[in-house]
Amino acid sequence: MLFNTIDFAIFLPIVFLLYWFATNNNRKVQNILLVLASYVFYGWWDWRFLSLILFSTLVDYTVGLGLQNQNNNRKRKLLLWTSILVNIGFLGFFKYFNFFLDNFIQAFSLFGVQIQGSSLNIILPVGISFYTFQTLSYTIDVYKRKIEPTRDFIAFTAFVSFFPQLVAGPIERASNLLPQFLKERNFKYANAVVGLKQILWGLFKKVVIADNCAYFADIIFSNSEYYSGSTLVLGALFFTFQIYGDFSGYSDIAIGTARLFGFRLMQNFAFPYFSRDIAEFWRRWHISLSTWFRDYLYIPLGGSRGGMLKRIRNTLIIFIVSGFWHCANWTFIVWGALNAIYFLPLLVTRNNRRNIEIVAYNSVFPTFRELGAILLTFILTVFAWIFFRAENISHAMDYISTIFSKSFFDEVSFWGYKYARILYFLIPAFIIVEWIGRKGQFAIEKIGLTWKRPFRWLLYAVIVFLIGILMRTNETPFIYFQF
Amino acid sequence: MSNRREIGRFFRMLLKFIPFIIVAYGILLLGWGNNIPLYFRGNLNYRIESKGHAFTRFKEVKTIGKVDILFLGSSHTYRGFDVRLFQEMGYKVFNLGSSSQTPIQTNILLNRYLDKLRPEIVFYEVNLPDFSSDGVEASLDVIANDWVDWEAIKMAFKINHLKTYNTLFYGYIYEMLGFKAKHDEPLEKLGEKYIKGGYVEKKLTYNKRLDARLRGVILNQDQLEVFESIIAKLKKKKIKFYLVQAPVTTSYYNSLTYAKDFDSLMRTYGNYLNFNEIMHLNDTLDFFDAHHLNQIGVEKFNKELIGRFFNQKRN
Repeated sequence: MLFNTIDFAIFLPIVFLLYWFATNNNRKVQNILLVLASYVFYGWWDWRFLSLILFSTLVDYTVGLGLQNQNNNRKRKLLLWTSILVNIGFLGFFKYFNFFLDNFIQAFSLFGVQIQGSSLNIILPVGISFYTFQTLSYTIDVYKRKIEPTRDFIAFTAFVSFFPQLVAGPIERASNLLPQFLKERNFKYANAVVGLKQILWGLFKKVVIADNCAYFADIIFSNSEYYSGSTLVLGALFFTFQIYGDFSGYSDIAIGTARLFGFRLMQNFAFPYFSRDIAEFWRRWHISLSTWFRDYLYIPLGGSRGGMLKRIRNTLIIFIVSGFWHCANWTFIVWGALNAIYFLPLLVTRNNRRNIEIVAYNSVFPTFRELGAILLTFILTVFAWIFFRAENISHAMDYISTIFSKSFFDEVSFWGYKYARILYFLIPAFIIVEWIGRKGQFAIEKIGLTWKRPFRWLLYAVIVFLIGILMRTNETPFIYFQF
Repeated sequence: MSNRREIGRFFRMLLKFIPFIIVAYGILLLGWGNNIPLYFRGNLNYRIESKGHAFTRFKEVKTIGKVDILFLGSSHTYRGFDVRLFQEMGYKVFNLGSSSQTPIQTNILLNRYLDKLRPEIVFYEVNLPDFSSDGVEASLDVIANDWVDWEAIKMAFKINHLKTYNTLFYGYIYEMLGFKAKHDEPLEKLGEKYIKGGYVEKKLTYNKRLDARLRGVILNQDQLEVFESIIAKLKKKKIKFYLVQAPVTTSYYNSLTYAKDFDSLMRTYGNYLNFNEIMHLNDTLDFFDAHHLNQIGVEKFNKELIGRFFNQKRN
């Protein structure tokens, strides 16, 4: 089920009403309801893959309990590896099998050895990269004795399959989310109102900003050989806002929805396009994934301990694995590597933690220096997104070489150009709102809090109106569903 | 208890917020529709006096009573059945075609005007592209040029598209504020002349598009269901009806996949004549574009039709 559909608009209020009115605020009944709702939500897409989630849940629940009862280190390690192999095994088969097979065959063919083998027709289960990482965090934390395993199977199942964040995150840690399933939830008016606001803003980002940008980005990327360099720059910019609106919009809807049920999920995006360097960008973009890799890969590899060479190696691994996590395609590996290249000078000069707080925290406008740093970071990010969006490496290289050709100075022109002009108003307006609201968890969280109610509501009415008038009417899935 | 109080507060807020949003939405919609250029309007397309003189046709139909013959269908109808040729035969006729009219729009127009017009014969122009359409664009034409009533609301729910809902809401406000009453469409505009009785005569031009890409149009089941209810309605009222497929250029006709299946299907509903199989017109000289007859083509087509259905002038 997609957040931006009528199905979800009907599903959510039904679950909400049942949750608060039909369960007598009994935590266990509420958890059962959430599990059922989550399985319906996921099964709406393809019920067959529910068995994968259920199997992962059973394995990790059992492993968790086994780890608690076991003091023998070897046996504990064995249990942990069972969980890792099952989860990564599923991920590896469904997501990476064809990639490795094709590359294996190609590599041998370079040496004149022909190997017979054909790709399998594998359907990638939606959200597999997200829920496997979430459930892995549980077994790893239990193994490290950071958290106690739970005996409450329903609560654990609800933690693994919680529908707001099941298919595209935020990838929650067991230490944050699981305890919330184990204690009583109370309805808080203020919390629910913030949740509704976050859903509204997320929906706006997805259906107005992302989907409109996507329409034109798709036209330009799909026909890039016919367009000038200047048009391709515009295409890359459209994609830049598409991916941000799409993914951060999804995260906002997920976090807002969770709030309606009394849950607090972690912030996943913190205005990344206002970052002053790439290190800051990665602290603000897809935070739940970056911190997952930090905690469960970078630190176990040695993290910042050891010499500079080891830190560089660890950083390279993290970025490349992160790129590969997104999709089994060389373009994503290059995208990850490119970000590592952007990052390494900051690491070597020990400037990677220079910009922690949001830019211009105590002022309205950034300084010229900050503005320059934001623009430079933004340009580097846009450039990297070309690899993320391109069909393959040669498409990306052709795209980039056209940008750096004489046609960069040609007039912008593409099919449907006239209709794209609305984005010249929408995107700057969107940036302004995001800038004003950059100190909040999401842009409109604090905007208008001191205004009189009619004016504050008018702001929300304008957002609702813009959604109604400018949303693309064909249902477009979220980009990260494919990962 | 605290939970109940907080939830109660939340629902009380929603009870105030939702009406506020509806009113604000309407005001913003009106401002947007009146001031924003057409290509920026997104999911709002309210165009009074659009092509095909629908505004004048719907205005005229309200002023007439019983007719002998009623024509229904898309632009192939209001550009394809010249009412003057039938009037010369002594028949009182009305052409109730509208742009891209699908069965969903035909149904709403019949609900509005059938009892008033009480036709003896209905010529219902059917074609595969309109039966495969979602009916969104055609609904906008009917909403903007006729009125917003319960039938229009039912149509919007049937189509279930944001553009139709927005246009309906805008149309309701526009009518309520009296803006629509001030409109008056010229009988001649953009090389087209409205002929009393609903026909639109276009200045004679010739088709230059002789190629047509293959179009895999597939029947829309919703449209077929509504079509069946129209047939049932006509039968119930004992109105004689003929299903007609008007001529289009050969290249256009050949580009439609499943055209033969459509013929077979239509024959199951009653008297059906596909004039693409009966007549052989010239793709250039008898049409002004790929699927609309010019005046020369219309006269040939109408004479053929009259010859088949009407042996003599009516006294």
